[in-house]
Amino acid sequence: MGVFTVRQGRDIKIKGAASKELVNSPLPSRIALKPTDLRGLKSRILVRENDVVKVGTPILIDKLRPEIKVVSPVSGKISLIERGDKRVLLRIVIDCDGRQEPIVFRQFSPNEIKSLSDQDTKVHLLEGGCWPFIRQRPFSKIANPSDHPKSIFVQAINTEPLAPDIDFILKNKEQLFQAGLDVLKCLTNGNVHLCMAKDAESKALTQAQNVLTHQFSGPHPCGNVSTHIHFIDPIKKGDIVWYLHALDVLRIGHLFLNGTFLPEKYVAVTGEGAKNRVYLKTIIGAPLRNLVEPENNKGPARYISGNILSGTNVGMDGSLSLYDSQVTVIPEGGRRTFLGWLTPGFCSYSFTKTFVSSFLPKTEASLDTDTHGSNRAIVLNEIYDELVPLDIMTYFLVKAVLAGEIEETEKLGILECDEEDFALCSFACPSKVDVSGIIRSGLDLLEKES
Amino acid sequence: MKFLEKFGEPFQKGKPLEKLYPLYEALDTFILTPGKVTKKAPHVRDAVDLKRVMSFVVIALLPSIAMGIYNTGYQILLAKGLSIEFWQCIGLGLSKVLPIIVVSYAAGGFWEVVFAVLRKHEINEGFLVTGILYALILPPTMPLWQVAVGITFGVVIGKEIFGGTGYNVFNPALVARAFVFFAYPAQISGSQVWVAIDGFTRATPLAVVADAGKGGSAIDALSHVGYTFQNMFYGFIPGSIGETSALACLIGLGFLLITRVASWRTVTGCVLGLLAMSSVFYLMRGPETLTFFALPPHWHLVMGGFAFGAVFMATDPVSSAATNIGRWIYGFLIGVLTVLIRVINPAYPEGVMLAILFMNIFAPLIDYFVVEANIKKRMKRAKGQVKIA
Repeated sequence: MGVFTVRQGRDIKIKGAASKELVNSPLPSRIALKPTDLRGLKSRILVRENDVVKVGTPILIDKLRPEIKVVSPVSGKISLIERGDKRVLLRIVIDCDGRQEPIVFRQFSPNEIKSLSDQDTKVHLLEGGCWPFIRQRPFSKIANPSDHPKSIFVQAINTEPLAPDIDFILKNKEQLFQAGLDVLKCLTNGNVHLCMAKDAESKALTQAQNVLTHQFSGPHPCGNVSTHIHFIDPIKKGDIVWYLHALDVLRIGHLFLNGTFLPEKYVAVTGEGAKNRVYLKTIIGAPLRNLVEPENNKGPARYISGNILSGTNVGMDGSLSLYDSQVTVIPEGGRRTFLGWLTPGFCSYSFTKTFVSSFLPKTEASLDTDTHGSNRAIVLNEIYDELVPLDIMTYFLVKAVLAGEIEETEKLGILECDEEDFALCSFACPSKVDVSGIIRSGLDLLEKES
Repeated sequence: MKFLEKFGEPFQKGKPLEKLYPLYEALDTFILTPGKVTKKAPHVRDAVDLKRVMSFVVIALLPSIAMGIYNTGYQILLAKGLSIEFWQCIGLGLSKVLPIIVVSYAAGGFWEVVFAVLRKHEINEGFLVTGILYALILPPTMPLWQVAVGITFGVVIGKEIFGGTGYNVFNPALVARAFVFFAYPAQISGSQVWVAIDGFTRATPLAVVADAGKGGSAIDALSHVGYTFQNMFYGFIPGSIGETSALACLIGLGFLLITRVASWRTVTGCVLGLLAMSSVFYLMRGPETLTFFALPPHWHLVMGGFAFGAVFMATDPVSSAATNIGRWIYGFLIGVLTVLIRVINPAYPEGVMLAILFMNIFAPLIDYFVVEANIKKRMKRAKGQVKIA
């Protein structure tokens, strides 16, 4: 229980926030599941093309831990299984029949949930297809059911640019949310930490029972899971904590209370390239084409599942990634400006004070995908420390990863981090160094070695 | 834009001038921004790039350059006993300073291009800064061939053999100056080189105090030859081209701090270190100590190359410490060492160049201890011994 004020970090204030209006998006005619979203899952496919599936039918399992299942969010027919190099599964496309027939699992009353054993809870979560939403630190991959986490973190605060407002989405869902939290409590002997914004108002959050609540205030990345873990229950080598997003807690609550897999997704449509900037109630794997109405006269645009800092460029024909509750559309860059390094920059966006715009009143910026420069060796490294709230020497961590010093990276705290924590560094680096990508490669290397 | 593309054709892969591609690329991105887009997250990037950062350092140097040119002419007219006219000062100054800047850029730029071509990397804009910094810390009488030899050493040995800008251990401009300082001492030290007239002797303020013997008043020794706090602050004294005016450095510093290009920690550390060490000497002053002991601490700030070194050399982010605590220590020790060398080392009247180079060597060690402390803290915290926040 506590209030944490984070000083380091920056909010990137850009145009294109979603208005607080919830619209039911019609069920798309086909959806796609992307096994590539599921870090830590060695997927084996259980269905074939033309198989008929219901909501909750297992589609994928993990090769090593077959009890982990990824289930279908729609009822319909498997229309395409797309594979890439080395037969890696890329996409499973399902044609929806519109009936949304569910597989029904056992239901529990709120009181029954509280007295469930660790094992029964896990089995029900695994069977019902809710397990992949529970991830672990270190390595940000799907949790291993046989682990015993020292605590579980629920992320109920989003601070990424234009991120959806969790308060707004959780309105009137107190019961489902509380049931989900009770389920999580059965999974650990430690605490369930519910991390919310300081100004959170939704009753689901402020009146949550059976958990420790923590409030965070400050600029992004104060809403990142790493920040919460770092301040509340830091991990060292050998420790495991689990985490999940507040909106997926609803899914777990729904599975236990109502006995069916909840395939819904609440998505904020954001970015200046999208015309219909609202909150949509849609479904897991929905194609972006169904969600976004593009602004017509804005030229080529980038369609991102997620936010501008850590989202995936999926294209207009791509579909929503499993863990994302946001779609961002921003214009593509690539225009070459004359003597760009010398222009006063009346509307350039920068964390530095090297543009006239830095001294003008702050307005919402319009950002495109331009890199604004070429790649160089790291020269200015002071800026990293201002952007990472974790007590981590970012510059030295990056150097250790580049040098392949695995033990050193571990000592410098790489296990506490995820690439998204350094997205602001990648954004701000004048040498255009991909700091977050380097950290990811360090994590991958460490995971492979251990 | 079309013209550039057409001009660039022979430099593309498989074409005759393929090897010179870095040269074309530098020109191309000098004129137009690269226009590349991000491939993956984060999808947007800050508008600043290294070209802009480096050109801002050059902009911050403009007051020092202007003052250096004016003062070079001013010192000549003063020495000849002629009346001081503004445009005459500028004209005379330009005739002495401009060739040095041009040679420094040309010779250094040549090596920059050679290495870019050989190592197939893009030409780095860091040289824009090195080339002008080096020119500004030379006496106006420096023979041009020595200017060229010095910058060659600085760029090749000080930077390129380590891998180029961003990988260098030392500040390349200082390496270049240190090289000419030890290779051609007659042309860069003593009292004959600071005013651009053959055979004219005028000692710099630091040399005046160093030669003042024991027990006297440093201020009297200085005012005896016409040096006051004011004219040292404004920079109307003999010395290296760009370093004489503390005022110009102060304006540059303001610019660098407002735009947040330079680290305020390093600069503050330097000033504190200098004041601390010179205060110690000042308190120890007596009839048996060197006259230098009696120089009031704040006079150290405006004498010699300290202001220039602290603002433009110590703050070089590549060769300085890279942790916040490290920057304080690094800056502080530069200040301390500068005074130590100035006051009690009989061989070199000025200490800031050697102090910074010396601390360049120690910067990684300072960082090492800061990083180790961080590692230990994290270990303890993970065991639950320290509660944070």
